[in-house]
Amino acid sequence: MGSSGASGDLSGEMEVDAFRRLFPLRFYERHLLESVRPDARPLGRARDTTVALGAVATADGSAMAKIGCTTMLAAIKLEVMTPPLDSSDEGSVAIDFHMPPICSPIVRPGRPAEVAPVVSKQLSDAIISSGMINLKELSLVSGKAAWMAYLDIYCLDADGALFDAALLAAVAAFSHLQIPAVTVNDDGRVVIMSGENEEEEESVMETPVTVVLDSSSRLVSLYKPGGPVLAYMSAVQDCVALTRQRVKELQKILSDAISDMEVD
Amino acid sequence: MEFVSPEGLRLDGRRPMEMRQIRAQIGVVAKADGSASFEMGNTKVIAAVYGPREVQNRSQQISDQALVRCEYSMANFSTGDRMRKPKGDRRSMEISLVICQTMEACILTHLMPRSQIDIFVQVLQADGGTRSACINAATLALADAGIPMCDLITSCSAGYLNSTPLLDLNYVEDSAGGPDVTVGILSKSDKVTLLQMDAKLPMDIFENVMQLAIEGCKAVANYIREILLENTKQLEYRRGR
Repeated sequence: MGSSGASGDLSGEMEVDAFRRLFPLRFYERHLLESVRPDARPLGRARDTTVALGAVATADGSAMAKIGCTTMLAAIKLEVMTPPLDSSDEGSVAIDFHMPPICSPIVRPGRPAEVAPVVSKQLSDAIISSGMINLKELSLVSGKAAWMAYLDIYCLDADGALFDAALLAAVAAFSHLQIPAVTVNDDGRVVIMSGENEEEEESVMETPVTVVLDSSSRLVSLYKPGGPVLAYMSAVQDCVALTRQRVKELQKILSDAISDMEVD
Repeated sequence: MEFVSPEGLRLDGRRPMEMRQIRAQIGVVAKADGSASFEMGNTKVIAAVYGPREVQNRSQQISDQALVRCEYSMANFSTGDRMRKPKGDRRSMEISLVICQTMEACILTHLMPRSQIDIFVQVLQADGGTRSACINAATLALADAGIPMCDLITSCSAGYLNSTPLLDLNYVEDSAGGPDVTVGILSKSDKVTLLQMDAKLPMDIFENVMQLAIEGCKAVANYIREILLENTKQLEYRRGR
């Protein structure tokens, strides 16, 4: 990083850390010219991902997912409720995403993270609209009683890729969920991608795109919340291709985690 | 209900003077200046420390020492029944204040004037003794953050059921309605900074129970010291010494 760039700035004389703080965009552009990222990852590769099922013993289903340093803890608690008249033979799922102050220096008591309700809504939409969970399986007595599944996801460490890690944790928690006296198997597991990034990268990026695919590679959701115009359709197609690759990786990680649980 | 069987075993198979298994880990939150997770049996707690950093609210700034703030919150799934209001309720605010004042007793705040030290504690699983676990986790997190302290504060609880002093109550024993004594001490100097008790207890028995809790605190302090030494060795090793 010592060589002077074509731009006449102080990059040649400054220390790497100082340059990173003061000129973040140029710092990343320098790396992108070599098709690599600051932590030496190639552009298409994701950070180390791990999933651990059953992290919370008191919950009916739980999982802890880590992507790099980002850590999410998801837990599901079941409660019996009376289903509303228009969906009398279905249960219900309530999804809540929390970013407690431990996860990041920008979250303080009285000043909650702006991104928390956004991710919460994204998660809700993706999980419910994908039909991953068969609500009819949550019904107990038609019209009288059904399960209400409260899914709470806590971010324990926020280092970018929040939605990805949260969705991974949510899916893993549902696959670990055991309804008392009935075991749940969800069909068509939803897995996620992204060109996923650390927090610093995200803050200099112009526009993040999130793509959600299910296990048969059907597009479940596409999310590009405003921002500068994407010049070419091919950029979106590249994202989808990257997702497909990541889906395979994540499916393997998830099924390894589940088979480890079954061995115990 | 019988909490201590005639053979002298408690509901979870422990002896009356036996603590639950303790497990601690430093540096669990990468973003925080210092962090630690602490487990006492089934009670799991994560503490993160941010600071010293600029005071958020200028009007609260103290010119000759650091401002210490603490927030205690429980995850929705941490207790048996799902909690509706995990923070902002009276119990959480009281425990936040207790932890804040306890840690303030050992932090050398005069070394960091006009700054703020935030201690955040999140309870992931609650099975009795959350207050003590939070204080122990906060001590480790402060040490990990490198904040100057005069001593390590450790905490443990004890109770008295079926005419037996019991160390480190779990949730079932705690909710039995018997007395519950929580003690926090400065481990080297043997001084008590936190002492809370509820329910009724004769004075001489209280002294026994408090002594038992202090023994528990010392055991936790030894464990914490081991963890910190191990952590320092790891850091030295990574530095290449």
